[in-house]
Amino acid sequence: VAEPVARSPIAPTSPVTVVYGWEISARRSGADLRIMDCTPLAKVLVRASTDGEVARTLGVPFGRAARDEHGTLVVGSGPGEWLLLAPPATNAVVARRVEGIPDEGLVSVFDATHGRALMRITGERAADLLAKVCGVDFSEEVTPDGAAFRSSVAKLVTDVVRDDRGAERSYLLHCERSSGQYLFDALIDAGDEFGFEVEGFLTPEMQGVRG
Amino acid sequence: VAAAANIEVMTDSVVNGRYDDNWVAVLQRNLPHVAERLVKARAKTLVVAPGLIERPYVFEGNDTPGVILSTAARRLINLYAVKPGNRAVVFSANADGDAAAEDLQRAGVEVARVVDARQGEDIVRVGGGTSVSSVECVDGAKIECDLLVAAVGWTAPTSLLNMAGDRPVYDERAARFFPSRLPDDVLATGGIAGDGTLDELLAHARATGREAARRAARRARALRAGIPQSADGREKPEASPVEVPELPVEEHPALFYGRTHGIVDYSEDVTSKDLLAAEKEGYDSIELVKRYTTVTMGPTQGKLETVNTVAIMAAATGRTIEDTGTTVWRPPYSPITLGALAGRIFEPVRYSPMQTWHERHGAKPLIAGAWIRPDQYGDPASEVLNVRENVGIIDVTPLGKFDLRGPDVPRLLEMLYVNRWANLDVGKVRYGVMCLEDGVVFDDGVTGRLGPDRYVMTTTSSGAASVWEWIDNWLQTAHPEWQVHVTPVTTAYASINVAGPKCRELLLRLTEDVDLSPDAFPYMRVRTGRIAGVDDCFMWRIGFTGELSYEIHVPAAYGLHVWEALMERGADLGIKPFGVEAQRILRLEKGHLIVGQDTDGLTGAYSAGLAWAVKLDKGDFAGKPELVWQSERYDYHRLVGLQPHDGSLVPPEASQIVEGENELVGRITSSRMSPTLGRSICLGLVAPHLAEPGTTVTVHLPDGERIPARVMEHHAHFDPEGVRQRG
Repeated sequence: VAEPVARSPIAPTSPVTVVYGWEISARRSGADLRIMDCTPLAKVLVRASTDGEVARTLGVPFGRAARDEHGTLVVGSGPGEWLLLAPPATNAVVARRVEGIPDEGLVSVFDATHGRALMRITGERAADLLAKVCGVDFSEEVTPDGAAFRSSVAKLVTDVVRDDRGAERSYLLHCERSSGQYLFDALIDAGDEFGFEVEGFLTPEMQGVRG
Repeated sequence: VAAAANIEVMTDSVVNGRYDDNWVAVLQRNLPHVAERLVKARAKTLVVAPGLIERPYVFEGNDTPGVILSTAARRLINLYAVKPGNRAVVFSANADGDAAAEDLQRAGVEVARVVDARQGEDIVRVGGGTSVSSVECVDGAKIECDLLVAAVGWTAPTSLLNMAGDRPVYDERAARFFPSRLPDDVLATGGIAGDGTLDELLAHARATGREAARRAARRARALRAGIPQSADGREKPEASPVEVPELPVEEHPALFYGRTHGIVDYSEDVTSKDLLAAEKEGYDSIELVKRYTTVTMGPTQGKLETVNTVAIMAAATGRTIEDTGTTVWRPPYSPITLGALAGRIFEPVRYSPMQTWHERHGAKPLIAGAWIRPDQYGDPASEVLNVRENVGIIDVTPLGKFDLRGPDVPRLLEMLYVNRWANLDVGKVRYGVMCLEDGVVFDDGVTGRLGPDRYVMTTTSSGAASVWEWIDNWLQTAHPEWQVHVTPVTTAYASINVAGPKCRELLLRLTEDVDLSPDAFPYMRVRTGRIAGVDDCFMWRIGFTGELSYEIHVPAAYGLHVWEALMERGADLGIKPFGVEAQRILRLEKGHLIVGQDTDGLTGAYSAGLAWAVKLDKGDFAGKPELVWQSERYDYHRLVGLQPHDGSLVPPEASQIVEGENELVGRITSSRMSPTLGRSICLGLVAPHLAEPGTTVTVHLPDGERIPARVMEHHAHFDPEGVRQRG
């Protein structure tokens, strides 16, 4: 039997290669507005009391996202619920880190890496694109960098995180894996008028993100 | 302005409505890629500057071709270089009418007369019928001409202001409406706000723009204060309010209608005579007149005719225009296609990780809710036989799956299911039935205990979302004190049912860390391990198909890898994929019900033949009181296995079971031709007196034919003892 290869629900745009055991697109784009399938990133879902030690350690309230000292993006994805996004293949490390936090209440850690599709839209017109498919106010005041919310995007329940790349506006969108291709296609369609292009997966090293 | 990076200029666009919080709908037309679209925009400050709309004059023949407004005449001449006629009469009440007369002369049109309303002059009617041939004046003059240009005043299009809550007031001096009390986030400038020289209007517009920016900044500041920010810099101090100068209001004659009747609403063909008739019939309110005559209800939406209507009704009722009031301005301000309102129709779809494989191998798709599933791969009957004889695999990823953790999971399960759960040991799975509080079967599935505090629940594919809401409801409202975390994980795992007498042999080739021997891994057990090199898989032995089978659940990203590995390593065992249709046949042969197929919104647990699962001696659970009552009654329909006497006939599902003439005593819920048995088989709900095994019932086919069918001893038509699935 061949070596296992992990695959995103989003069909990779050629050229295709394998990194961290994931089949990914290696396409590079110089477009002003780009979409990247980031499904290979580790996604760890944490549930815990909002007033316990886990909540204090993670330090991010519902509706906000911020990076911790390890470089993991901690998203306050719901009341007493956090989604931790980290480099590929670090799921176990991230999960163990949370499991090691002493908390008197019930804490559950679930590796959601395989259950979610994750994509990133980057570019100054990213908000204009999203405004076409989502009713939320994407203005700077209402959804600044670090904002996180769950809404309907192209009629699909989607978690949206504003996570700017340097000075460039950027949004992470994640949804149930089975609808990943649908959401990706809907965004591509909405972005057509802005010259939207697919950018292949950039590894954390290529993005300058710490593991 | 368009060159500024943070300003987008939208041309050929109109704001069609203003809603709460300055949410405005902009209709954009003639884009390169779409004829018309609706842009939803949020304005921190909305500046309304629509100018003024020239008002038509009501008189006999005012819809005759050749009667035009002064703005139309000037636009034709100055913008399009079109000479609108040869000999004109200009009816003027203002400087624009005078300017139109000058433009006409410059364009070579003979201006036969300027009828000056400011001097008390008036026109009575135009003659001609299909085109203007003459104009009659109130002084008796009749002037031969082919063009009448009217300039009798202006209507303020206050629509957006009204939608913002303003109630514009009528100014008799200017004979038009003006804004009165605008909300803080709406400003008005230009002709709608007043008159004046060009310089005065520009000064007003500039000051309004600065004030709008100031208020927008204040609004932004308030929004930022309520939302955590990245905090890179202090807020600038708030600017002082900008003084917006008052615009003068020029006097204008109140000219709306003349001495003869004419058209008021050009879209709806409503005349002044119609309005007066309505008033005489008692429709003296402007809103009632609107609905009775349809005036202002056409595509112009009141822009041309509202004020004339109000003036005519005011005169008819003896009231003032102010007292008469206007009709309510509602969106849309301009006509809009249904397509633009509907926008893009989004229809989310769901695919399993193996979808590309199914497509490559000719699977016929089945649309099951949002899921696209392989219905069959060409021949469902042979797929069935292959499962009975060799081994088959089916993609069952859409099965609802929930990860349950915490010490109170057994309490939750006891509440949700009608059967008992507190005694489920680690490593075991159990079939469970959920009923609603009315005792109606709601969902079913298998739940396994993977660890002391960790369970995985499966539900029907179509019921996953409802079960999730049901669980959430119990945990959030009835028992928030329970220590349980429930996470939907339907698509976290690719799920594959490996079924058939050779499935154990196949899995032995691919599974590590799991002892598959019947003693170590018996029926209704769950194990975790490594499959085809993939860690963190779990598998349980269950038997929906009635064969020895394992349902394996692998991390979804590896679903395609494991599926291909199964196909590759099972080639010599005769492995074939099977689709939903084959699965439905297999389960019907085995007599397993499908919730929603063999039950409906009234089918209780006892009707469905699930009495064996209902444990009335356990504590409270959803539906228990109703089920206690059901258990003491015997008048409910019962789900039974049925076989037509003629095994070649397959009664369509939903065929009625009848008695006597046409008394309905049941129906066929599932039916198929069984490839295994070579005859038709069914499940059906029948009245209690027909449920005894051996009873012959009558099935009424859609074509009117009636056929006999026998009630079977079991639901299962094949292997009722379960020898095969127990391996």
